[in-house]
Amino acid sequence: MSSKADWKTVLEPVDPDSDERLFFSQHQWDTVEALSARIIPTDHDPGAREARVVVFIDRYLSGINYIFAAADGSGFLQIDGPYASAWRSRITDMQRTYREGLAQLDALCTAEFGSPFVALADDDQDRAIEILSGRPKPGPVTLGTTEPAHTFTQFTTDDGLSFFDALCLHVKQGFYADPVYGGNKDRQGWRVIGFEGPASLKDTMDGTYSTDSFFVQEYEWTDLIPHLKVQTEWEPPS
Amino acid sequence: MAEHKKPDPVDVVIVGLGASGGTAAKVLSEAGLKVVGLERGPYLRNHEHFSGDELKFVNRSYMWPDAKLTPRTRRVEEDEEAQPYPFSMTPQLVGGGTNHWAGWVPRPRPSDFLQRTLHGDVDGLSLADWPFQYEHLEPYLTKIEWEFGVAGIAGADKGEGFRSKPFPSKPLPPTRWGKKFYQAANEMGINAFPIPHAMVTNEHKGRQPFNRTSFWNQYGDPSGARSNTATTFIPEALATGRFELRSDCFVREVKVGKDGRATGVVYVDGSGAEFEQDARVVVLAMGAIETARLMLLSQSAQFPDGLANSSGLVGKNATFHEYLFAIGFFDNEIDDPLYGWTGNYISGGTMDFYETDESRGHIGGCIVSSSQTCHPINMVFPGRPSWGQAFKDADRTFFNYAMKIGLILHDMPQERNRVDLDPTHKDFMGLPVARITHRAHENDRAMGKWQVDKNIEILETAGARKTIPVYLDQVTGNTCHQHGTARMGFDPSTSVLNEWCQTHDIDNVFVVDGSGFPTSLGVNPTLAMMANAWRSCEYIAENYLTGRVERLAGAHS
Repeated sequence: MSSKADWKTVLEPVDPDSDERLFFSQHQWDTVEALSARIIPTDHDPGAREARVVVFIDRYLSGINYIFAAADGSGFLQIDGPYASAWRSRITDMQRTYREGLAQLDALCTAEFGSPFVALADDDQDRAIEILSGRPKPGPVTLGTTEPAHTFTQFTTDDGLSFFDALCLHVKQGFYADPVYGGNKDRQGWRVIGFEGPASLKDTMDGTYSTDSFFVQEYEWTDLIPHLKVQTEWEPPS
Repeated sequence: MAEHKKPDPVDVVIVGLGASGGTAAKVLSEAGLKVVGLERGPYLRNHEHFSGDELKFVNRSYMWPDAKLTPRTRRVEEDEEAQPYPFSMTPQLVGGGTNHWAGWVPRPRPSDFLQRTLHGDVDGLSLADWPFQYEHLEPYLTKIEWEFGVAGIAGADKGEGFRSKPFPSKPLPPTRWGKKFYQAANEMGINAFPIPHAMVTNEHKGRQPFNRTSFWNQYGDPSGARSNTATTFIPEALATGRFELRSDCFVREVKVGKDGRATGVVYVDGSGAEFEQDARVVVLAMGAIETARLMLLSQSAQFPDGLANSSGLVGKNATFHEYLFAIGFFDNEIDDPLYGWTGNYISGGTMDFYETDESRGHIGGCIVSSSQTCHPINMVFPGRPSWGQAFKDADRTFFNYAMKIGLILHDMPQERNRVDLDPTHKDFMGLPVARITHRAHENDRAMGKWQVDKNIEILETAGARKTIPVYLDQVTGNTCHQHGTARMGFDPSTSVLNEWCQTHDIDNVFVVDGSGFPTSLGVNPTLAMMANAWRSCEYIAENYLTGRVERLAGAHS
């Protein structure tokens, strides 16, 4: 077994335009693509469909080859040792969650609307998602309110999530993750929300990518910290 | 019993090479001792393994421990069965938490060392004074600031304790959201200042900083800007020629001889082979959860309840510093963008609410700082719609129009809050995992509520048009700060360690991480942990191993 420090880089960045399926059946692929388009719909800006989120999810669920991109985005890390067993078991569980979740979704769509999910109109698809998730479709976030919440951990994994909760997380990830993973095609997800992300992961390693221009350009510490003005001993740090 | 391979004995074996273990490696090897450092995780090379990959670092546990391999469990009440929960999953690799951290390194204040004296008996709490004071630690706080690299402005925080030297590096320019904090604070008469930051902004000890990518908190830093023991103290220790680093080596027991002294440790390397490393001194530095777990796992004829646990206090009085905050949203049609995702996590902050003011209805107080709202996948946005047009609209509207003001909850010690061995759950090595039992005290909730509400006031003064307060429910371990499980003190019946982090029971076992903190501080603990580790290791080298015993005033009272 090799140390995590020595995991090899294999494969290449995922092609977002690929129609090759590594995990989903054609029907599952079409259903997940349709679901993703209800989770991040297309409007005057691209949505999950255009960003090729389905490719991202299919690669993720295909095994442990597409879990961690190499730091520079040139390919993927070949996971080894106990980490490989842990990820295999995690992905096996998630594959089951998707298979069962998609089957359950089609069953409820057929019972409720007479057709599988992909054949339904947008409104019926939304209604089917409400039934599946057991929650109403989220309403808009508005200004002028205060809504308390409780604490949570710094990181978000998909361990133990239900099918729909996992799907929402994966669609969000596929829309906003670095394009090396197959989604966020042409950085469309980032552009929708105005995130000026890097052109490549490699650019984040060597100083090529900088967010300098987003910092405040003109400032004096003595304006921000007025009491420094009256401290005779204080000198600006050099 | 399995045959162990036995490498040559050394002066000191250090278990865990994070913030405090990395400090120990430097100080002990530079003092001329032969030292082996054992780290369960890998030694990642920052310039080769780290980049701005949000999915990998924040969602897929590349650097966080994998909860399937090394789970933890958590419960609130004694009669509950603890459930698996990724509690305080501080990265386990060379450098530990200094790999992922934002790098807040504020100093504690003199009052932090005197919580018992200041507040007396408080119902449900086990407050204790520290066995040393701020002035004992100050020279070491300064050493860490200068050796490790810290950016800040001396004197900017009017309430700071005595400081013998300014900072080696100036702060970063403020972010746009940070400037909002400064403006609102000034309007409210609050003393805002740049929170001291474990990074260098000018060339310092050969480090050439450039990281302005805004991929910071939770990401590894491929540049030399972040102060990380893996890229500073560990290489310095290796350069002495007296320090040997063994990564991917999991220590499962501290061995105790017939005379009741530690002989060394048993560990398993990456290939599964077992070794026994003998040493004159064993230094534990795995963080207060894993250190307590190893002590409890190390049962012997002399210490059937765990290493150096005659007090029964190993694992107890655990404190964890929950991160609480309030979000403010601005109007994207009227206001200027704030770009909440930019910066190096923290910008302007304050310690104006740090000291006890009983009119608030609680004791203690917290450090407060404006901070990043993070990247697109994991934008810090409680109540973010999970799907549909509302989700897309909310992200598009608020991603660049949000700011956050957070706080480090100064949670108070309770003896019942503890780390022990889970009776059913095992890690991938087959050993019982750490079980966390923690119920927030009324004072913790009151402090969190008061400060979050104050942060809302600051946000509203800054012009926020919608706010989201995040209050304390139960502690989740979301700061990765861990303290108290082997508290320091003078009395062996009420503490595990003395004032030099030496166990009362076993003279050659030292615990130099946050386990010794009798109370948790209202600031991020790492600077104080590293300073304390430096101080203790200096004692090991200059006193203990030369046969001199030195005690501080109070030791014999």
